[in-house]
Amino acid sequence: MKSSETQDQGNDVKALLDRFQGPLIRYALQITGDLERARDVVQDTFLQLCSENRASLNGHLEPWLYTVCRNRALDVRRKEGRMNPLTETTAEPRSDSPDPSVSMEQTETLGSALKILETLPVSQQEVIRLKFQNELSYKEISQVTGLSVTNIGFLIHAGLKAIRQNVLAQPHANSKVLRRIK
Amino acid sequence: MRIDPNDARLTAYALGELDETEQEAIEHELLHSEAARQAVDEIRATAEVLKKELGNEPRLQLSEGQRSSIERRFRPAKRKPLFAPSRVLYAGGAVLAAASLFLVVYLNWSAGRISLENAFDTDINGRIIGRASSPRTVVQESPKPVEVISKQSHPVQQTPEQVPTKSAVVQLDKERRGGGIGTELIVRNDAALQSLVQAAQTGQKEIVASSAVATPMAQPAMLKPTAGPGGGAGAHSFLRKFLLQDTASVSQGYESEEQKTLRDKGSHRQNFNTEAYDRVVDNPFLRATQNPLSTFSIDVDTAAYANLRRFLSSGALPPKDSVRIEEMVNYFAYSYSAPKNSDPFSAQVEVASAPWKPEHRLVKIGLKGREIAQDKRPSSNLVFLIDVSGSMQPPNKLPLIKRGLPLLVEKLTENDRVAIVVYAGASGLVLPSTTCDHKAQILAALENLESGGSTNGASGIQQAYDTAIANFIKGGTNRVILATDGDFNVGVTNQGELTRLIEEKAKSGVFLSVLGFGMGNYKDSTLEKLADKGNGNYAYVDSLQEARKVLVEEMGGTLITIAKDVKIQVEFNPALVGAYRLIGYENRILRAEDFNDDAKDAGEIGAGHTVTALYEVVPAGKEGDLPGIDALKYQKPVATTRESKSGELLTLKLRYKEPDGTTSKLIQVPVSDRGTGWAQASRDFKFASAVAALGMILRDSPYKGNATLGSVLELAEAGRGEDKQGYRVEFIELVGAARGLVEGRKVTD
Repeated sequence: MKSSETQDQGNDVKALLDRFQGPLIRYALQITGDLERARDVVQDTFLQLCSENRASLNGHLEPWLYTVCRNRALDVRRKEGRMNPLTETTAEPRSDSPDPSVSMEQTETLGSALKILETLPVSQQEVIRLKFQNELSYKEISQVTGLSVTNIGFLIHAGLKAIRQNVLAQPHANSKVLRRIK
Repeated sequence: MRIDPNDARLTAYALGELDETEQEAIEHELLHSEAARQAVDEIRATAEVLKKELGNEPRLQLSEGQRSSIERRFRPAKRKPLFAPSRVLYAGGAVLAAASLFLVVYLNWSAGRISLENAFDTDINGRIIGRASSPRTVVQESPKPVEVISKQSHPVQQTPEQVPTKSAVVQLDKERRGGGIGTELIVRNDAALQSLVQAAQTGQKEIVASSAVATPMAQPAMLKPTAGPGGGAGAHSFLRKFLLQDTASVSQGYESEEQKTLRDKGSHRQNFNTEAYDRVVDNPFLRATQNPLSTFSIDVDTAAYANLRRFLSSGALPPKDSVRIEEMVNYFAYSYSAPKNSDPFSAQVEVASAPWKPEHRLVKIGLKGREIAQDKRPSSNLVFLIDVSGSMQPPNKLPLIKRGLPLLVEKLTENDRVAIVVYAGASGLVLPSTTCDHKAQILAALENLESGGSTNGASGIQQAYDTAIANFIKGGTNRVILATDGDFNVGVTNQGELTRLIEEKAKSGVFLSVLGFGMGNYKDSTLEKLADKGNGNYAYVDSLQEARKVLVEEMGGTLITIAKDVKIQVEFNPALVGAYRLIGYENRILRAEDFNDDAKDAGEIGAGHTVTALYEVVPAGKEGDLPGIDALKYQKPVATTRESKSGELLTLKLRYKEPDGTTSKLIQVPVSDRGTGWAQASRDFKFASAVAALGMILRDSPYKGNATLGSVLELAEAGRGEDKQGYRVEFIELVGAARGLVEGRKVTD
């Protein structure tokens, strides 16, 4: 079943688009910061896939898509001079992970894991999104981002910790008190 | 041992990322630690919350147009890529064999991964709703999956060699590519194919792999460009479509109406070439009254030309920013006369009309470094610092190094010393400094180099410089020759560290040569900076022929620095010059006051090197069409001196230091314009202006005037001269290839 699914995955363009366009655009958006450009990037990613030998991508189509998408998005960003490529600035784990109390302040009104996520360094957000939104394995994330598996493990671990210290403490989004106690 | 609840392995465990052994170890720990068990539970709970929230983000979609463009292009082909419907047939056995190798590689690799399909559950919309938590999933170490992924695209691109094309240059390069990729596979997988590939390579002047093989991780996407889909009619259509884009566009492996759609969408459309080039903006025209001084550092780098050749040979125009005109012009040697006095170099200036804008004058400044005869060459103390990391395996990298460096070693004598330091995950001294009467020993050490592992540049460079310093030859050539693809993958910090180290070590008097190999110039700007920091030069070696040029023919220039911190300052005479523009050297411009500042670093000139710079000059009174500024309210126009009536067009001033000197010397050369037309100018003048004109066309420079590829061709033919090494002929072929591409487009439009 799996192998036929894989083939379908490679051949049913509609299913492919349905499944991946959203996450890919979301991913490209994180990098480019602009939805239109993110869409362009994803269109190009799929067009690239069209001319690819898809048989050879069987089984790792997904990391391939993310890798191509990422490279293009970075390229767009680099060319537009919006910011420095994140691999070159923030690839190493940062010691200045957000102070939980600071995160908490921001969380009070919003009360969501996402808000804490947004306080993390960009490269950490990227890795965490690839893991939990796009469900890639550490190894696949390593492929896509070029970071080492160990580094990814660390980034995810530290990121989850920051989130869990705030979120788990507070099952209901509005109960500030509980969270403070924790 | 009790596991710390804050151990990152607990997260990996909770998320099912550990291999069996590690997992068992953790499970064992969990039995004994309540805190750890709680941590795991919390991690899982947090992960669920996070996933849920991330899943609630609004769903993003492509536009209908984008979607349908993809659907139109998408064919359910399993074997045949869309734009090379007959590739497999053309390519015959070689490709099939290669394809089966890919399969092997892939299977090996996929066996080491968590199956994606197993890892996901999806809802009917195809959305991922959860990950089957499978703590038992086996994850094995897999050999560089990243590289494998990028290789997947090779079968698609490697076949054009079979398609007859008109251009010999294009043909040659495609043959190279096929061979290169084949060999790369073989290196990893199958000795049986080696003979096949070698057979395919015979009859070529050089055996080279496509630089497209380069930089595995960073750009599976860009591996496409140089390949271009298909040849023959397919290639033409591709090139036409491609050329519809602005000239900076580097091909993608796809084309057709989507490209047009994209182009029509607006100017923000980016070209997805992931090679890194610093942005270059053409120097503008400056008014001589306001900016009488033009100051820049010389540059003898030639990498941009080799890169340009790679693009044009493969049927694609280079990205604008990769076209550095001064490097193109300086790739060629010009017959300037050698210095007659004790100066390390001579300076010659020629003025004639600008071929692309005859009402403008073109000033060609030529410097020629003193030649040093082979037997008068000072002793050399060389340290080869060779990157032997895993990414160096492709045949256009380490194997090319192993064939290129011996060419240099052969030319060395018993007065010279060579040491070899390699670096990968670890670095090591492979060959202690050895005098070159033991050539066999040196060659054997080179021959035995093998690649593998990751790249840790910093410790290698340390060791290389230490070795060079330990064997320092006073008054001789002390140089580290770094051969790398620039892919410092152990960590980006190493790259910064490397730069800092080199900057630090350059003070020891050891110079640096950087040889970039097969990297598709992806790290072009980085390597150029390394060379600059290290008082060195930088060349991009894409072929054995190029290795010969850099290491043998130009050995003097590459190895022996005869003057350093060479700066040029030109003072224009506003009586004759309305405005001027320095062509190229955009990233070498200095401030006027830097000219006399000896602390300010500038370029080096090697023995026998020629350096050429071109200025386009608008005669006084004809600068009306230039964007001007209002007349000054508080100042009169500049007062001119008696010398301004001397009839001199400009004064050329040069500053340089002896290689071991710290104070600079000054040379001044006044220049007059005799009003020569370009047709009467020297061959070198014509050829250099042809090269500059090609650069301006490829950069789509606003200053290209009436230059066309046709006029470049004529100009280059007129300037070809004897051309013993055939470099100028090669240039002419490249212009022809570029013209073929452009005209192909015009016919259809």
